[in-house]
Amino acid sequence: MVHNHWVKETLEIINQMQADGVIGKYAIGGAVGATLYLEPASTLDVDIFAVIPTSSDSPLLSLTPIYEYLKARGGVIEYEHVKIAGWPVQFLPPSNELEQEAVAEAVETTVEGVPTWVMSAEHLVAIALRTGRSKDYIRVLQFIEQDALDQEKLHAILERHGLTSKWQQFQDKYLGGTNE
Amino acid sequence: MSKTEMRRQLAGLSFSEKVKILEKLRDRSLALAASGLRSQSAEGARKKADKGSKG
Repeated sequence: MVHNHWVKETLEIINQMQADGVIGKYAIGGAVGATLYLEPASTLDVDIFAVIPTSSDSPLLSLTPIYEYLKARGGVIEYEHVKIAGWPVQFLPPSNELEQEAVAEAVETTVEGVPTWVMSAEHLVAIALRTGRSKDYIRVLQFIEQDALDQEKLHAILERHGLTSKWQQFQDKYLGGTNE
Repeated sequence: MSKTEMRRQLAGLSFSEKVKILEKLRDRSLALAASGLRSQSAEGARKKADKGSKG
């Protein structure tokens, strides 16, 4: 089977979109972001948390400039995704202080030489904990099992964003109340 | 190699290497979906379960 460099091509387009001012700082989150720290797990899309510039004329956030930019470059809109270079990408404006901080403090890395930013392991865990679906909890457990977290940093984030009691509930339910 | 050791090795790969694996996993998922194998196997499992519950 021929190997396609879809993610690399997708990131090149997103980086160009950032350079052209359509989006501000961005960070990869979700399953693809978690892959920086964990073993790879099958996923069908890429979550990009991107700061979207607003103007004084139109202070409301709109994804339309992103969609228009990408459509002009061959992107295809499919429900909440834009298919770029074969990968469905979901653009998510940071919707709360935790997500804003996660984007601001994202870790710089590269994919086949293309620079990109990924949320820190601790921010990914905090966001997964807040989102709270079964698959999010599974991911949190993977971070714990693979010892991929800086506990001090994680607890500071959880405290800052009011997630300490949720973390305690998670521990009680899934870790037998241990103080991991 | 133990499963734990294999997982540790996979987690230790570079992001680029892991992204290549993600792409292959996605290719495989799409190929399975296109071939209909997944729905056939789900249908087969359902029939088997039905048979088991009736038997």
